[in-house]
Amino acid sequence: MPTITFTQPTGEATEVTVEEGTSLMRAAVTNGIEGIVGECGGQAMCATCHVFVRPEFAGQLPEVSDDEDEMLDCTTAERTDSSRLGCQIKMSGELGNIVVDVPSDQV
Amino acid sequence: MSHSAVPAATCPFTGASTPTETAAAAGEAAAAAATTFDAGIEAPVADWVTIPDLHENPFPIYQRMREESPVHWVPAVNRYMVTSYAACHEIEQDEARFSANEHNSLMKRSMGHSMLRKDNPEHQVDRDAYGSTLRPGTIKKHWNAIFEANNEKYLSELLAKGPGADFVWDYAAPYTGENLRLIMGFHNATQQDMQRWSQTLIDGTGNYADDPEVWAKAKASSDEVDAAIDEMLPHLAKNPDQSLLSGLASMPIPLEAIRANLKMTIGGGLNEPRDVLATTVWALLNNPEQLAAVKADPKLHAVAFEESVRWVAPIGMYPRETTTDLVLGGVRLPKGARLGVVLGAANRDPEVFEDPETFNIFRPKKPHLGFGGGVHFCAGTWIARAQVAQIAMPSVFEKLPNLRLDPSAETVDAGWVFRGMTKMPVLWG
Ligand code: FES
Repeated sequence: MPTITFTQPTGEATEVTVEEGTSLMRAAVTNGIEGIVGECGGQAMCATCHVFVRPEFAGQLPEVSDDEDEMLDCTTAERTDSSRLGCQIKMSGELGNIVVDVPSDQV
Repeated sequence: MSHSAVPAATCPFTGASTPTETAAAAGEAAAAAATTFDAGIEAPVADWVTIPDLHENPFPIYQRMREESPVHWVPAVNRYMVTSYAACHEIEQDEARFSANEHNSLMKRSMGHSMLRKDNPEHQVDRDAYGSTLRPGTIKKHWNAIFEANNEKYLSELLAKGPGADFVWDYAAPYTGENLRLIMGFHNATQQDMQRWSQTLIDGTGNYADDPEVWAKAKASSDEVDAAIDEMLPHLAKNPDQSLLSGLASMPIPLEAIRANLKMTIGGGLNEPRDVLATTVWALLNNPEQLAAVKADPKLHAVAFEESVRWVAPIGMYPRETTTDLVLGGVRLPKGARLGVVLGAANRDPEVFEDPETFNIFRPKKPHLGFGGGVHFCAGTWIARAQVAQIAMPSVFEKLPNLRLDPSAETVDAGWVFRGMTKMPVLWG
């Protein structure tokens, strides 16, 4: 099963193992990962599941949709080239062991 | 405040009598993460809670309830009231156990069966039909300019009325009413119609006393809205614009659902931004050092807006119904139990927010539950943020220098299911 490593601004890292098809946001919320809120339950409507994806994994992710793109402009921590919405990333075997950074501000 | 005497009473839902367990026992049961029905305690009965007291000021009541137990049976409201942040959050995140599709819903009677009272997958079909109208991209490209023009107009009208004018009724209500009229595409109605429809339909939704006059007014508005929709749909199908009605005109959504969803939107899209706007300005006027900070740093308008939604959630309670026997916050709830998810109380839970009763824009940022969460997360969140925090607030403080409450008049905040300013005369200059 794929794993996700969430790295906090403090440097603390937590690895969680998830079922295929689970979103990165859902995995974070179920495992009580600090700093990922997921207020809208994954509809790309709240921007509180913002993460920075490490560049080496960026190429394996689906394209940013229009809905995700406009919501990424609404994140509390400033958007960067590696910004994604956790709810729009579904875990799959290809993603293997993805590593993401949790922003310091989410609300 | 005394917490000791809970008089003997019977829960009309389960027929069980008041438990003798103390608040501490309720807390322990919750801490033990009880998951089986038998592990929970019977809900304490809060028969000391009355609707007039809630209407006047619910917050001391919520404080006492939260301290006793996260869940109470409240005879006056005829439902269980859930007041802790943790329990409200648990409900929001679990629509399988906590259904929005309530039986004998007052909202369904007043407005029809809208997406707000549907569970997925049905809810999502209706919600998707709203398309991109309420999303940040469309707000930026299309609505912000319209909100700015409306703000100009209604702020000038307030100025023209002169000092002593009412901030809510002479500005916030017509401003948000006109914005909503255009967002929805009611080109055949006025902002006054929007205000009347919104209030009477909401009054029906909160008609716990079953007042026939309230039902008659809600019905009259409902009929007017149906007629307005019937007239607009064919027009907008030929002359499309960015509005909700225009998007719906080309969708395979049953007319009945369109009508119910639009009535829900009339109810939720006017009073709430109106109330947040007035409450936030009222709170800032009462806290001059915070107001000075906001004036000095425009980014703080958004912070003040969020803190206001936390402090006085404009929608203070919404209903859910259990789909199975379960334990919530250590309290047993039978299948079919009618719950009130009290966001107004959750947002002031001291477990989450330090000094929660105080309006403080400098508090550490934490997610509040004011917009709801999960699949029913408020669809109008970004519209409210734009029209209130981005456009109205900066302009109010710029154009009305020395804005202040009129000391010779009364200022009134009221309500609990919906809470806001009902009277707010102001002076400036
Ligand atoms: S959970 Fe709301 S945008 Fe991802």
